[in-house]
Amino acid sequence: MSRVNVLVLAGYGLNCDYETAYAFELAGAKSTRVHINALIDGSVQLDDFQILVFGGGFSWGDDHGAGVVQAVRFKTYLGDTILEFIDKGNLVLGICNGFQTLVNLGLLPGIDQDYKSRTIALTFNDCGNFQDRWVSLKTNTNSPCVFTKGFDQLESSVEFPVRHGEGKFYAEQGVLKRLQNDNQIALQYALPDGGLAQGQFPYNPNGSMEDIAGICDPTGRVFGLMPHPEAYNHPTNHPDWTRVREQMKRQEKLLDSGPTAGVRLFKNGVDFVK
Amino acid sequence: MTIDAALTDEQLETIQKEIFTNPVTQTSSFEPLDIVFDWTIWVGYRPGVRDNPGSTAVEAIEDILGLKLGSNEGVYTSRRYCVEGSSLTTEHLNRVAGELLANDIIQQWKIFSKKDWNPSSGTGIIIPKVILDHTPTVTTIPVDSDGSLQAISDERNLALNPNDIPVIRKYFLDKKVKKERHRVGLSDPTDIEIEYISQARSDHCNHNTFRGRFHYFDLETGKKEVVDNLFKTCIEAPTLELKEKKPWVISVLWDNAGAGLFDENHYYVITGETHNSPSNMEAYGGAITGIVGVYRDPLGTGKGSKLLMGGYGFCVGERDYQGDLKPHLHPRRLLDGVIEGVRDGGNKSGIPTTFGQVIFDHGYMGKCLVFVTAVGIMPAQINGQPADQKKTSPNDLVIMCGGRVGKDGIHGVTASSETFSEHTPAGHVQIGDPYTQKKMHDFLLEARDQGLIRFVTDNGGGGLSSSVGESARFSNGCEIYLEKVPLKYEGLDQWEIWVSESQERMTVAIDPEDLETFLKLSEKHAVESTVIGTYTDSGKLHITYDGNTCAYVNMDLLTAGFPQWEFEAQWKSPARRGLFEPVLKEPSDYGNILKDILARPNICSKEWICRQYDHEVQGTSVVKPLMGRDRDVNSDASVIRPVLDSEKGLAFAQALLPLYSTIDAFHMTTCTIDEAVRRLIAVGADLENIGGVDNFCWPNIQFHPKNNPDGKFKAAQLVRSCKALQEMCLTYGIPLLSGKDSMYVDGHLPGRYGESHKISALETLQFSTISVINNINKCVTMDSKSPGDLLYVLGTTRNELGGSEYYEHFGYTGLNVPEVAAEQFKKLYSVLTQAIEEEIIASAHGIYRGGLGVHLAMVAMGGGFGMEIDLNDLSVEDVDRNDVALFSESAGRFIITVAPENKSSFEKMFASLPFACIGNITDSPDVNVKGVDGIKILSVPVSDLKAAWQKPFGDLI
Repeated sequence: MSRVNVLVLAGYGLNCDYETAYAFELAGAKSTRVHINALIDGSVQLDDFQILVFGGGFSWGDDHGAGVVQAVRFKTYLGDTILEFIDKGNLVLGICNGFQTLVNLGLLPGIDQDYKSRTIALTFNDCGNFQDRWVSLKTNTNSPCVFTKGFDQLESSVEFPVRHGEGKFYAEQGVLKRLQNDNQIALQYALPDGGLAQGQFPYNPNGSMEDIAGICDPTGRVFGLMPHPEAYNHPTNHPDWTRVREQMKRQEKLLDSGPTAGVRLFKNGVDFVK
Repeated sequence: MTIDAALTDEQLETIQKEIFTNPVTQTSSFEPLDIVFDWTIWVGYRPGVRDNPGSTAVEAIEDILGLKLGSNEGVYTSRRYCVEGSSLTTEHLNRVAGELLANDIIQQWKIFSKKDWNPSSGTGIIIPKVILDHTPTVTTIPVDSDGSLQAISDERNLALNPNDIPVIRKYFLDKKVKKERHRVGLSDPTDIEIEYISQARSDHCNHNTFRGRFHYFDLETGKKEVVDNLFKTCIEAPTLELKEKKPWVISVLWDNAGAGLFDENHYYVITGETHNSPSNMEAYGGAITGIVGVYRDPLGTGKGSKLLMGGYGFCVGERDYQGDLKPHLHPRRLLDGVIEGVRDGGNKSGIPTTFGQVIFDHGYMGKCLVFVTAVGIMPAQINGQPADQKKTSPNDLVIMCGGRVGKDGIHGVTASSETFSEHTPAGHVQIGDPYTQKKMHDFLLEARDQGLIRFVTDNGGGGLSSSVGESARFSNGCEIYLEKVPLKYEGLDQWEIWVSESQERMTVAIDPEDLETFLKLSEKHAVESTVIGTYTDSGKLHITYDGNTCAYVNMDLLTAGFPQWEFEAQWKSPARRGLFEPVLKEPSDYGNILKDILARPNICSKEWICRQYDHEVQGTSVVKPLMGRDRDVNSDASVIRPVLDSEKGLAFAQALLPLYSTIDAFHMTTCTIDEAVRRLIAVGADLENIGGVDNFCWPNIQFHPKNNPDGKFKAAQLVRSCKALQEMCLTYGIPLLSGKDSMYVDGHLPGRYGESHKISALETLQFSTISVINNINKCVTMDSKSPGDLLYVLGTTRNELGGSEYYEHFGYTGLNVPEVAAEQFKKLYSVLTQAIEEEIIASAHGIYRGGLGVHLAMVAMGGGFGMEIDLNDLSVEDVDRNDVALFSESAGRFIITVAPENKSSFEKMFASLPFACIGNITDSPDVNVKGVDGIKILSVPVSDLKAAWQKPFGDLI
């Protein structure tokens, strides 16, 4: 099969488009940054792609709830197009602002095939401010999530940076139970030793219920997460990299030059489509 | 939210449900919500203040309803605070509103008690709409005498320099000029022309102080000297000299930012700005406008550069100030606002804020300093043409892109060319809009890559007046149709349109043939672009409004004939000013003094600021602002990998050491530059590749016997600082890629009895350094890496406690300020660069403010390991006391840790240089130090040191 085509949205205050596109290229895909309006005016066709990425940023300044206005624009102009895209077996990934958008579009959690209702929220961090810090993540091995496959096999726990002011996952108990039962909770904030953060700041950086960092729909093909895997596209992105390099040197080893956990996440998506 | 638009009930319900209410977490109502309270405070913006959520609300409403709101319609946001507390009074609530929730410069508020509250009408409907009801009018200004023009200048707040007035008059009274003007229907100058001249001649735009003539008199030696033009002699000359020697210097001294070679396909660009006066009055608005504004500089450099990162420097009064002076904003509130402004400005622009510093000093009570630095990158070529070069040509169209023009920001540049007082016009305070600018940024870069841009520059200080005026110099003229400029609201006078500093605008020159493509692309990016004129070669700046000429001046008017400013500068040596070394016996409790110094405001952890700044968006982060085992200790510099598929990097750092100016601004300058350089060397940069940015912030230097009695001394400090800058740049070989100055860092603060006090800031230089890193994989961080490693100090420790944190802790200034021996230091720096290149170093950290003791603690806290130190082994000159060894702030030094197997190769490399192994990293939880006489003087757990260092601001988020 030809290369997997990835559409990374850009414009209207989105800002992680370059590195997200780059990370997908490292994962073996052909990725294109596409302005939201180019998709709306039809100059770019969603049909030409297999993975659609709602990336990080501050769409419309996030003044009325993060991702809300972006979701409104998609709903107004492209609502059914995206549903058809998903129906065809393609993948949708939402990172940070993109996750917030998927939630406001109703594409997540997608319980009982309902891809239109807003039943969960990503709201203001409990700590009261924007936070940029690396967090440890626990992967749910039973989750159908396409993007986190095999993460539990990695040598060390998965770490990505969070960078948001509105990342606290909130849902009614009933919804939460469904998410748990159906293994839709794919990623949770964890302690450095691998145990769950259990709400403890800063390991759970925003007060998310059940330490939720990322969820997928029941098919596992629609995935949203607050942490930024694309910000770990190179070994030197990791905050400990000079420390690890020094340890390796003393064991006469080199720093691991294989794909980072961030690139692996994207590669999972690309491999699935292949 | 107040919606001033003709919407149906059904439409209102749609937007309520779909946009403004999250069904999972929020409730909303068109009636006042029934909330339990004793008091309600309503806070909203004043008319004309930028309301970002209001304008995105309009976009969202238009989107979902598929309609356009009329020009008379709008959406305004405000907040209702409900307060419980029955014992509170209206007076209390007013204080809460005025000092905590709102700033009267941009906001208005109303207080309701439970009793006054009408549950159905609530706060009532308040629409902060600007209604000017004014017909735009051009006024002519009489130039019959100097006095009358001076009077107009005072009346209109033009801040014209009295010496400029005869020159302006002479021009307009010139026969030939009069004849030409007559032909286009003009006689005496119009207000728009005088405003244009005043903007361009302001100290902010024209740097009259730095271009002035200084009569420098050294009272110590009796030597007199005339320094003609500090900018030319101390900044321009060394930079041009270095540009000749360094092929990597691409573009300096003319564009919005300077450019250096990143690799054969890319140039990086850098510039630094300050935004002091506006931040001092409205901290959030001033700071966000500052950072968003400086980000337009790289965007307007060459044919346009993509933004890569930002840096910040905040100088404010004591955060816990409890004295009698009443600044407009208490330093604590001011700092909070400034931090948040830079946070939103940077984060919402998608640009990582990777480095910054905060200095607390009483001198900044009068006016705070807000430094903002921007780094960008451009391709070396666009369509085979050099991307760093640009010009306007006759027939090119003048296009204004981005935001619209309102009354905001009028007279910003002239206001910042004055000392702060209660008469400073508040209209120049704005709120930046990173969202609008981000859209414009994305649009302009796409236009650039399609080869559509011939010239681009930003609208900052002076607005169109500056951007069009400056860009038209290339073609030598322009014709502007002012009525075409899109306005936020009707009723602006022509001169206001011309000089308004409304934000988020760029001026672009394009080929008329590309107009359609350009406008189509603009529309795709939801950016407003409007043709407002044409570049010409007429030699005239020609402005019309509805066909009538309202300005017609020679393009070369501003470059010809204005007199240089003159300053008296008188230098008194520190000893002559009565400074001396304090009589201080050595302490015996080193553990506690070290902890107390670590907890001082200018030393302690400020993690809460770094954490709220996105410092890794764009995925480029290599060395983050906080590193180490617990990722919480400040790195020496930040490093990014701006071209994602390249292993090259850009290292960035900056330094601020204003306290040394209390002794001598010459040494303040040399030490500041040395620190900024050492910070880059410590992560792996090569001195050969370092470029600098100078940002001077100085109190008023114009002597006045009553108002500025020490003006001559401050002028001498400026001359000395500039000379030091020149000397350092030439010795270290650092071209000044960019720089700015901001004078008049003084304020008059009311006191307890109705009196007022003039508070002047310390003479301050922020120096930023940038360097290409050839291989980021070799970068080094400051944290100790492994027990058993050897700990070295490179460089010599001298008896230099003057102006130190240690002396300041005891309330002393001292005399022995650190001095920089640049020629000697640079040999050591180049060997260190080589050692990092050869990968034999485990960690490197410069010794900065606080001295060896503080920075050993940093290395220990970063690594999470203990250390055994013996001060007796330190390489010293004239040091026989432990306090001097631990707290002297001698420049040129590093703490290095090295794995034992690299000991001999490391020592061999440094053999001819001052260095010593003074200990090693241990498994123990403690830092143990033996004094110069071999007796243990200090044994403190690393965790205690960190607790002390984090205590002051550790609870802030």
